[in-house]
Amino acid sequence: MAKEDVEKTLAELSRDLGESKARLEEAQRVAHVGHWEWDLATDVIVWSDETYRIFGLSPQERPMDLATVRSMVHPDDREPLYQAVDQDLVAGQRPSGEFRIVRPSGEVRTVSSLTSERWSSLPGDTKRDASGRPYRLFGTIQDITDRKCTEEALQEISRNLLESKTRLEEAQRVAHVGHYYWNLVTNRVTWSDELYRIYGLSPQEGPTDMAIIREMIHPEDRELVFRAAEEALRSEVRPDAEHRVLRPNGEVRTVHGLGTVKRDASGRPYEMFGTVQDITDRKRAEEALQRTQLDLREVTRELQRQQAYLTEAQSLTHTGSWACNLLTRQIFHSSDENARLYGFDPSQGAIPFDRFYNAILAEDEVALRAKLENAIREGADYDVEFRIRRTDGAIRFLRGIGHHNPSQEIGEYVGITMDITERKCADEEREKLRQLEADLAHINRVNMMGELAAALAHEIKQPIAAAVANAGACLGFLEGERPDILEAREAATGTIGCARRAAEIIDHVRSLFKKSFPKRESVDVNELIREVALLLHNDIRRNSVTVHLELAENLPEVAGDRVQLEQVLMNLMLNAIEAMRDARGDLRITSQPNDDGHLLISVSDTGLGVPADKVDQIFDTFFTTKPQGTGMGLAISRSIVESHGGRLWATSDSGRGATFRFTLPHDGSMGT
Amino acid sequence: MSTSSSPIVFVVDDDEDMRVSMQRVLKTVGLRAELFATPQDFLQRNIPDAPSCLVLDVRLPGMGGLEVQHKLIEAGINIPIIFITAHGDIPMTVKAMKSGAVEFLTKPFRHQELLDAIQQALQRDQLSRRHRNEIAELQQRYKGLTARERKVMDLVVSGMQTKQIASVLGTSEITAAVHRGHVMHKMQAGSPAELGSMAERLKLSANR
Repeated sequence: MAKEDVEKTLAELSRDLGESKARLEEAQRVAHVGHWEWDLATDVIVWSDETYRIFGLSPQERPMDLATVRSMVHPDDREPLYQAVDQDLVAGQRPSGEFRIVRPSGEVRTVSSLTSERWSSLPGDTKRDASGRPYRLFGTIQDITDRKCTEEALQEISRNLLESKTRLEEAQRVAHVGHYYWNLVTNRVTWSDELYRIYGLSPQEGPTDMAIIREMIHPEDRELVFRAAEEALRSEVRPDAEHRVLRPNGEVRTVHGLGTVKRDASGRPYEMFGTVQDITDRKRAEEALQRTQLDLREVTRELQRQQAYLTEAQSLTHTGSWACNLLTRQIFHSSDENARLYGFDPSQGAIPFDRFYNAILAEDEVALRAKLENAIREGADYDVEFRIRRTDGAIRFLRGIGHHNPSQEIGEYVGITMDITERKCADEEREKLRQLEADLAHINRVNMMGELAAALAHEIKQPIAAAVANAGACLGFLEGERPDILEAREAATGTIGCARRAAEIIDHVRSLFKKSFPKRESVDVNELIREVALLLHNDIRRNSVTVHLELAENLPEVAGDRVQLEQVLMNLMLNAIEAMRDARGDLRITSQPNDDGHLLISVSDTGLGVPADKVDQIFDTFFTTKPQGTGMGLAISRSIVESHGGRLWATSDSGRGATFRFTLPHDGSMGT
Repeated sequence: MSTSSSPIVFVVDDDEDMRVSMQRVLKTVGLRAELFATPQDFLQRNIPDAPSCLVLDVRLPGMGGLEVQHKLIEAGINIPIIFITAHGDIPMTVKAMKSGAVEFLTKPFRHQELLDAIQQALQRDQLSRRHRNEIAELQQRYKGLTARERKVMDLVVSGMQTKQIASVLGTSEITAAVHRGHVMHKMQAGSPAELGSMAERLKLSANR
């Protein structure tokens, strides 16, 4: 070969080599793969440019040796790496491995190194190791940090996914929420495990047939569910339906389904995704709650109704209710009416104890306080009446009833307060009226006696006056120089006639009482005695007389004139009361049956009594010891008693009062 | 004068014994009595022109004594009344006396009490009768005066002299004197003072 040819070939070869080297460099650069040579004898290391780059250095920045490279390996990986290399070399194997390096910037990269050749001698090299041991290694190094990261990320994602799926299933299980995919193209449905459980099936893989699902929806709800689904497919409305599911074992569950429809770019739906939640328990709880709330509302309404009735009742009866501690003056409860009783406006809020208490009239407060303190001390109930001055100035009578529960604190009372003003007034009015009636009856009696006496006096005075005049005339005729005897005689005769007439009138009056008893009725003497005692209530009280009624029970009735017998009793009792005027005496009235078919009634006083020599006279007409007496009372009384077939008499215990007794034949003995 | 006629005592009482006994009492002093059982009977009787009085029971059937008194006053009958009663009280007595009762006797009364009261009543009646007659006489005379003479009488009574009267009447003094003379004659007055007294009594009676 010619020299030129050789040179030309050499130049071509050199050019080709340079091109190959450039291509290799480029390939290494793109693949992040560098190569290296390690002279095991000298530990000199030669790197390609890319290797420098992998290590974070500029290409061929400085010559490399093993110590430098060693120092650049991650400390954690250093010893294991070189131990493994040593072992591989001893075993005649090509070392390889993944390890981390630390760039000068501190950045950690993961690299993979492969030893491609072990040379005991380079091809064409004359220097050979006689032992045949390799003295030089050649290999590649690749930066796999990014791949490593991706791998790790992938692994992480995969792990997370798995975890998420487990958690989702767990969550679905706990929440009784299942989900499904409905592939609208294939009409296949994929269910989550929980959804199977909700439908009472065991979780199974694979899509479920729509027809089966349809069967499992409660017949009454079927149309509703599918209409909701159709609606969702047709419009943008999300399917949302509550319906019942028939489990294979016949159990009915209520579920709530929510869905979303996925559409392709053209808006055509291709999948429906949805969740189904078993809300049976929640529903039951809700219903129970609703029922409870309903019950509660009902109870509340009932309470309100009761409250309204109570308020109305309190208002009607002017009764307020309260609870308080009288010692600490705390009020725990005070009804509206309770406030109104005092004239307070209940809408103004709680009224302090003292405002109630200060309304009490001072003259009533002392006695009231004493009663309350006593009750508190003894832990007893109380019932008090007191007056208050209402805020409008009106004086009202209140009655307070307090009850102490021994289990409560000392001084704690619950009770009611009533406005009893009207009742009080009515009572007073009634009492006044009763008094008036009694007074009137009394006056009537007294007047009757008075009038009778006056009429009698007039009747008797007439003939007496005539007699006196006649007698006077008689005297007149006899006087003078020529007495007229004839006229005098006539006048004297007239006098006698008039006197007779007076006597006749008296007889007539007496006979009136004796004969005029056409009225005979059954009279209960005890009742009569009580009546008269009531009628004389005023006289009895005025004279501080104490009345003792000792009336035998089951007395037979007497036949007689009730009014006249009443008159007798009244007369005797009035006499007795007058005999004890201002002496605080005892008036004792007894009734008892006698052996001889009579009732014996006695009226006793503790007054001065009747002088022994007058006991017989007191029944005489016009006999009286009283300045205002007519002297008719006892006479008439005796007439009345005798006309009834009885007797009236008196006994006197010498200065220790008098007893008047009378008998009346009773019905059994009259035989009429 | 007819005042000499004998006096009459009217007795009104519903009790016959009372009436008869009172008549007897009156008879002892020779007084004439007319008896009536009821006030109505009495009121129908024309009271004669003689001294009289009325004995009246307070309590009478139909009409009370006080009512009878009232009716008599209303009718212008002026008769003294003696009330008698069996049961007089003070207010009733006061009322009766205020209305001009002479006496109020309570039964039984002594016969002399009745007679004294009757005497007093009759005297009072006689006096008032005379007085009434005099007034009637004066009224008669006054009626006899002409209008002009009455005017002159008023002027004389007021104390005017003839001259002053003439000037008031616008006449001559002589004419006035003639009128004055007629008045004094017709009224039978002896002096202007007597005429004044007559005028006074006429005025009183006219006011009554």
